[in-house]
Amino acid sequence: MTTDPALQIQNLTISYGEKEVVHDVSMKFPANQITALIGASGSGKSTVLRSLNRMNDDLATVDGQILFEGLNINQPDVNVYQVRQRIGMVFQQPTPFPLSIYENVIYGLRLAGEKDKRVLDQRVEESLKQAALWDEVKDQLKESAFALSGGQQQRLCIARTLAVRPEIILMDEPTSALDPLSTSQIEATMVDLKKDFTMIIVTHNMQQASRSADWTAYLDQGRLVEFDRTAQIFMNPQQQQTADYLSGKFG
Amino acid sequence: MQGPQQNLLKPSKESREEWLGKLVSGLAIVLIGGLVSAILIFLTVKGIALFVQGEFSLGKFLTDTTWSMSNHDYGALPMIITSFLITVLAGIVALPMAMIVAIAIAEMLPQRVERYLKPVIELLVGIPSVVYGYVGLTLIVPALQRLFGGTGFGILAATCVLFLMILPTMTSMSIDSLRGVPQDYRRASAGLGATRWQTITRVVLPSARGGILTAMVFGMARAFGEALAVQMVIGNTTIMPKGLLDPAATLTSVLTTGIGNTVMGTTANNALWSLALILLIMSLAFNILMKLFNKRGGQR
Amino acid sequence: MKPEKVDRLATYLILAGASLVGIIVLLLLGYLLVTGLPHVSWHFLTSSSESFRSGGGIRDQLFNSLYLVVLTLLVSVPLALIAAIYLSEYAPTNRWTELLRLAIEVLSSLPSVVVGLFGYLVFVLQWGFDFSLLAGAFALTILNLPLLTRSIEDALHQVPALQRRAGLGLGMSKWRVTTKIVLPQALSGIITGAILSAGRIFGEAAALIYTAGQSAPAIDYQNWNPFSPTSFLNPMRPAETLAVHIWKVNSEGLVPDARAVSNGSVVVLIITILLFNLLARLLGNLIQRRLAK
Repeated sequence: MTTDPALQIQNLTISYGEKEVVHDVSMKFPANQITALIGASGSGKSTVLRSLNRMNDDLATVDGQILFEGLNINQPDVNVYQVRQRIGMVFQQPTPFPLSIYENVIYGLRLAGEKDKRVLDQRVEESLKQAALWDEVKDQLKESAFALSGGQQQRLCIARTLAVRPEIILMDEPTSALDPLSTSQIEATMVDLKKDFTMIIVTHNMQQASRSADWTAYLDQGRLVEFDRTAQIFMNPQQQQTADYLSGKFG
Repeated sequence: MQGPQQNLLKPSKESREEWLGKLVSGLAIVLIGGLVSAILIFLTVKGIALFVQGEFSLGKFLTDTTWSMSNHDYGALPMIITSFLITVLAGIVALPMAMIVAIAIAEMLPQRVERYLKPVIELLVGIPSVVYGYVGLTLIVPALQRLFGGTGFGILAATCVLFLMILPTMTSMSIDSLRGVPQDYRRASAGLGATRWQTITRVVLPSARGGILTAMVFGMARAFGEALAVQMVIGNTTIMPKGLLDPAATLTSVLTTGIGNTVMGTTANNALWSLALILLIMSLAFNILMKLFNKRGGQR
Repeated sequence: MKPEKVDRLATYLILAGASLVGIIVLLLLGYLLVTGLPHVSWHFLTSSSESFRSGGGIRDQLFNSLYLVVLTLLVSVPLALIAAIYLSEYAPTNRWTELLRLAIEVLSSLPSVVVGLFGYLVFVLQWGFDFSLLAGAFALTILNLPLLTRSIEDALHQVPALQRRAGLGLGMSKWRVTTKIVLPQALSGIITGAILSAGRIFGEAAALIYTAGQSAPAIDYQNWNPFSPTSFLNPMRPAETLAVHIWKVNSEGLVPDARAVSNGSVVVLIITILLFNLLARLLGNLIQRRLAK
């Protein structure tokens, strides 16, 4: 590894009730890079992603360690809300709240008790710029978020996550509900965000992984098959299984 | 500024807020659990006092046919029989009527018609039972009087009132259960060359059976527990009914008129609470019956 | 007979039967309106009832009914909200939750006369409320709680799960997600449910004759002190409602114009319930539209 890991998982095993769906996965997610998790449906990639900021608490049993800032955050006495504020998440479907664009972006901040109008204004502009949405919406900040297109809504949700100033952003198939143009805009946004944030994304779309990710992990049936630099995985996979999956997807 | 690690371990505003969630959860459990247990316990304790204190035997209470508070006779059989009789009669008459209307609305008439009828049915469901009792008093009793002679008050009048009262509820529940049958079943049946009537009788009705039976039991449970509407038209004589035109009394009608005229703790008062206990037990039984039908319907 | 013929015959019979039932029901409603409306006058709505003479109105009964609905909603909406929030947002899926749901179902199937007797036993006698609006409101709350809980729970379920996850993903507490994201979006459903339940309890009588009582003592509409025994706002005074009045006048009433008074009261009762239904629909739509904007 060339950079320090921002997040590290060790021997992660996840089960839904009696059924174990992720088996003993260990990985290091490098800082200020994009790591993609790929694999077929049911490979456990989304389950792993959701466990990283403890969004799976109510649904699954997660064993193993998740190391963040040198601390195992997968233990009961850790404050999950702090974890989620610092490891943010963007979902598959755009999920704006039924509020104005402005109120959507500062939602997390308002809840944290920030009242200073100047700070809020500044954060809205900054976050929307980072999410590459500012130019499109700067004149309609007071209008409902539902008036935006699907792609704009998803970038708004990214801005909403950014406004909380997390260190890591998890993205769960962020473009699967969007058209190709919006998809490429979001991919461009992701690459821009790399300098400030560490990103981990789950995707079905191989092209997306190869275009935007620095690192790629291939999971199959709950096991980590191969994890390497994206170029290496796509050009020269070390495992036959990976090669078969990729050729099947591309072929 | 403390180290980032400490922040992750310390409670924050968010984690402190969760006690409100815990409070709400605890309150909800105490509220519902406490209320239901209190009702069951209080009514059971009051209801068995008559037998526990040895004032009257349970066997005689359930099988004796004479109810006379002044003579300390507490045979509840006439009321039990009458309650069941008018409930079953009302259910038997209401079920086919509700089915006819439900099939017409859900399967035959255009959707547009349902949009207009739905608020009307909702209004009818919401009409209070005293209104139905009043209709019985001013329309049904005089009509029966003219048709069959006598006073008009009695079992038949009560049955008619209950029938009117439960018809809207049963109809609306039947419509819902017919609507719950997947459209695919109808298309598949039609695709095999079945007529609409064949489809209704062989596919739709059997699939909706659970829901329709639940509707019937629900209606009957309401009829069994109805007090004032029945009390207004049944004549209120606590004797064994011999015919449909005879005046009689139900568990609920005796309770309605009796509780105010007896003193708490007396034998007569205890006997009334025993009637209330029968009502409670029957409402639990109807509940279990509905659960069974619902489950059976769900498995299909 | 050929299936096609059977089909046509059955269709005719069913439609004829349904029309017959429909016509009978509409005639009934029409009869109630036609016989009742002529008795509904300003005088009828604004004068107090008579015990022995004719010409009495229903002012106090109508006010009691409405006030009782308000009191009942004040008690039952918060309780139902708590129960619904727990069931929809917090309750784990296990045996205990199932038992709790069963308890609610038992509650909803209790005959109202049984609820009234329980209220008489506990609120009126044990707690010493006597026959009072408050005892009546508590009894009606028991009747109202299961259905209102159900309708609020349904309204909460209408809010997409994704909205909750988005909130949690921002690091919000579950409590915040529930109160700030879920509740506002469920508001129209909750209000509709509350008003519909108001319509249901407005006409209830059996649960009230031994809790709120069967008498309407003279009250003073100028007296705004809720602790004064003659004040119209005093929740500890006995209060006969409109539905109870209809029953009372017909089963043991002594007024010579019982028919006229009941006809008028029935119409007022039905129209008020109709208004509740319409109001629920209207407000629900209105809030829905405002939220969608």
